[in-house]
Amino acid sequence: MGEERSPLRPGPDLAEEASWVDADPEMLELQADAGRKSEELHADAAAALEQKRQRRYLVRALLRSPTFMTGLIIVLFWVFMALFSTFITQSPTDVDAMASLQAPSAAHWFGTDDLGRDVLARTMAGARTVLVIAPLATMLALLWGGIIGLVSGFYRGLTDEIIMRLVDVLLALPIIITSILILSLLGKSVAIVIVVIGALFTPVVSRTIRSAVIGEREREYVMAARLRGERSAFVMAREILPNITQPIIVEGTIRLGYAVFTAATLSFLGFGLVPPSPDWGLTIATERIFLQIAPWTVLFPAAALASLVVGVNLITDGLSRVFSK
Amino acid sequence: MSAMEQPASSPDAAPAALDVRDLEVTFHRRGRDLPVLKGVTLRLERGEAYGLVGESGCGKTTLAMAALRYLAANGTVDAGKVLVDGQDVSTLSEAAVRRWRGKQIAMVYQDPATALSPAMRIGDQVAEVFRYHEGLDKKEALERARESLRRVALPDPDATLRRYPFELSGGQQQRVVIAMALAVNPSLLVLDEPTTGLDATVEAEILDLIEELRGRINASILLITHNLGLVRRLCERVGVLYAGRLVEEGPARDIFTDPRHPYTMGLMRCVPRFGMNKTDAALQTIPGTLPALGEPLEGCVYSARCPMAKPVCTRREPDLYAWPGDAGAQGAAQAESMPPDPAAYSPHHANPVGEAARHARCYFSAAVSTMPATTPVLATSLEERGGAEGAVLEIGAVSRSFKDGRRRLTAVHDLSLSLKRGETFGLVGESGSGKSTLAKCVTGLIAADSGSVTFEGKLLRPTAGRRSQDALRAIQMVFQNPDSTLNPAWSTRAILTRSVRKLAGTREGSVRAKVDKLSADVRVEPRFLLQRPGDLSGGQKQRIAIARAFAGDPTLVVCDEPASALDVSVQASILNLLVELQTKEQVSYVFISHDLAVVRYISDRIGVMYLAELIEVGSAEQVFNPPHHPYTEALLSSIPKLDFDSEQQRIALRGMMPSLSEPPSGCRFHTRCHRILGEICETQEPPAQVAADGHTYNCHIPPDELLALQTGEEPVAPIAE
Repeated sequence: MGEERSPLRPGPDLAEEASWVDADPEMLELQADAGRKSEELHADAAAALEQKRQRRYLVRALLRSPTFMTGLIIVLFWVFMALFSTFITQSPTDVDAMASLQAPSAAHWFGTDDLGRDVLARTMAGARTVLVIAPLATMLALLWGGIIGLVSGFYRGLTDEIIMRLVDVLLALPIIITSILILSLLGKSVAIVIVVIGALFTPVVSRTIRSAVIGEREREYVMAARLRGERSAFVMAREILPNITQPIIVEGTIRLGYAVFTAATLSFLGFGLVPPSPDWGLTIATERIFLQIAPWTVLFPAAALASLVVGVNLITDGLSRVFSK
Repeated sequence: MSAMEQPASSPDAAPAALDVRDLEVTFHRRGRDLPVLKGVTLRLERGEAYGLVGESGCGKTTLAMAALRYLAANGTVDAGKVLVDGQDVSTLSEAAVRRWRGKQIAMVYQDPATALSPAMRIGDQVAEVFRYHEGLDKKEALERARESLRRVALPDPDATLRRYPFELSGGQQQRVVIAMALAVNPSLLVLDEPTTGLDATVEAEILDLIEELRGRINASILLITHNLGLVRRLCERVGVLYAGRLVEEGPARDIFTDPRHPYTMGLMRCVPRFGMNKTDAALQTIPGTLPALGEPLEGCVYSARCPMAKPVCTRREPDLYAWPGDAGAQGAAQAESMPPDPAAYSPHHANPVGEAARHARCYFSAAVSTMPATTPVLATSLEERGGAEGAVLEIGAVSRSFKDGRRRLTAVHDLSLSLKRGETFGLVGESGSGKSTLAKCVTGLIAADSGSVTFEGKLLRPTAGRRSQDALRAIQMVFQNPDSTLNPAWSTRAILTRSVRKLAGTREGSVRAKVDKLSADVRVEPRFLLQRPGDLSGGQKQRIAIARAFAGDPTLVVCDEPASALDVSVQASILNLLVELQTKEQVSYVFISHDLAVVRYISDRIGVMYLAELIEVGSAEQVFNPPHHPYTEALLSSIPKLDFDSEQQRIALRGMMPSLSEPPSGCRFHTRCHRILGEICETQEPPAQVAADGHTYNCHIPPDELLALQTGEEPVAPIAE
């Protein structure tokens, strides 16, 4: 009866009819052998292998994707620089009044700024704050947006209606202006910048996650969970959440790109960090008056910022392409 | 079957409509070569209808795609040739292929909803064929489109031309697809599971249409399907594919009455014969599973699953031998004295394919007719199952409606029924009749608007969330879709463990034991418990889903099309498993299916639903035999049967299923009924007629008159369209 049962022996009551099948021990042996072999291959090893292969396939597909790899290399470069640039370059804060606004040279590859600080050192170190603010803000947005999206998509009905109309209102607010207002109100610390960016990204994230949840909640395994009396929180967190990780990861990387951008914009506008921090946005803001006489002071940090955003976006593209295959 | 009498081929050497020679197709996936077709040779004469049969993964569709030169990018033709109307397909240029498709060869796909562009009006889509292939201008093309829609018997072609696909029913969509395929008179029409997603009565209409068209067009037909009944109705010749090999070929009648390959025999034995019940005989399943693509096979491709395999079968692959021929006779002789010597058999193609009438790829074709049955009868009678104990479930006047924009659709209307302990209640009806909604009202996934669900004498709360844990334990459900029934992120063991914890409430130590017992009961080997659903076959997934439902020793299990998405051999094993578990655990089933033969096989009692109402209830035998409700009669007549001896009379239903938001007055079936009496049917709700003990149906015609009508004493009145 079992379609998986391989070596076939007729039931005892049919033995007479099928006596000639029994009469062939060699065949049974052969079949059993082949069965065992193929079953082992199939089930135990093969299926476990297949699972590993699937995972390895994803990893390999990502490693083979030039888009993903380029993005990854760019981002890893800035992560490395944020951590170790002080050991490699000159100090980003050492002032040398004698050597202000020097053009790029062998001593200062990217030139110097108005206070004679090495632009290369400052550019390399400038990733530090952005790489703290952006990922933390993104994670906050994923956490809040995840909870809101799960609740909204799972309960639907009036709950969903109310939450989503609120989300619509929040989405209508211009992010930069709103964050400036909030930051003016609450003060300008890095922690507050993180919380504000996270909060402002929450509505978008919650929408994405809500639609993923809606796709899953009508599936039969969710119904089965309800039929064994699971609480809603369990169904959301344990049944649905593990099945929507891919859209969450993709959404996370998209938000990360925007968060880098927003963090830089805010520090350009003077919120969050104060000199002498080598932060890119801040540097661009303070040095922009020298743009015409010493463009390197602005261009190098600006290019660095752009490269990080592009790098994150390339990762996003690579991920979503591999996932959608 | 007007075309049956046509001569299959003209004596002169006209090229065959389709000539496939030693075709080998390989797919390349993730660095592996997976051979899909291994030297397939077949030939369709002009005007012939050929059925290609086999389970999913056998290579049927690949063969069609190769014929159309539509192979996916990772598929290559490694050897062999495909000639359509004498033209080698591989020599055509890209531009020529585009002109040639549609003109010489056309295809009808399984899902009409995806075959039509949702954004284009029907008229523009059909007209496009004429504009492209015949260079007609817009007006002429539309005129021809109208004509072709008329040809496929679409009512009101003018209105249809202006509609979008979503405004048509599934059956109408498929008619449009067929109209497009036949638009410019192709010489070969490929039908890939043309009716699989359609309801029984709609399927029958489409079959009627194809049969009728065959008399008027000269296209040859290649029908690809897993449904043997379909082939039996439409085709003169049949080829059976297994693991990329043609294992048997011959005239349809011969193959179905006297199969000569163990796989063909296995396929025929695992579908319930019409009128078969679990207490009479068990479905004979095919042991093992279809080999995975790329798995090395030694000897005969079927030897690992064949109940008659002998050592020679795994040593050397048999050729396609003529039957009855020298090989067959010798095979029979050799089968007596073992071990046989392969060299004694006739060499390959002693009778080239196409000359001899029948071929089978088996050394022991002669012994196939006596192939042993391996599955004993699994079910005991209802009485032995404790069915006399009284009602377990009582549904009283349950109604449920849904909002659809401004309209209200009543999916279940004032429906009552009761179910005994250990009994299987089969629920049949076409899609949209309310079967699944009723099932969900019982399990509490949907709350009924009104009415009561009483379980073991206690009134159940409407939704699962408000029912006690014990009530949840006692009523469980098995779902339709094996791919979404299990959480893909969980291991199988985790799924079962959670269910045992929640439903059986077993202490920590014995949970594991209970999970092991459950998986043993559904015959899933322990090693599969470590895997996730994505690594299991469809049948295994459904077994785990059944084990999950049985975790808390339920009293009632609602099965919503539990085997419909599976291949026939897997379906048989799932049905057998359900029957076996019922005998062992004394559980009651509500079994929902659109497949009448399956319902007849598994059910003790059957209810027929039409437009949200239960129109007939009775024992399986009562419902399937006259007198029965005219709708039941029409449903039964629409199933393509395998039987060659009795010529079945098809009852065509008029029109379409009315909308659930505005059900017809009086008898809900009167708009389509072929036995309509007159005004009384339109104005008065029909009374429940008691035909026999426990058998009632809702109709104005009393049982004795209905019996006379249905046993053929009086002819069926012709139906005016």
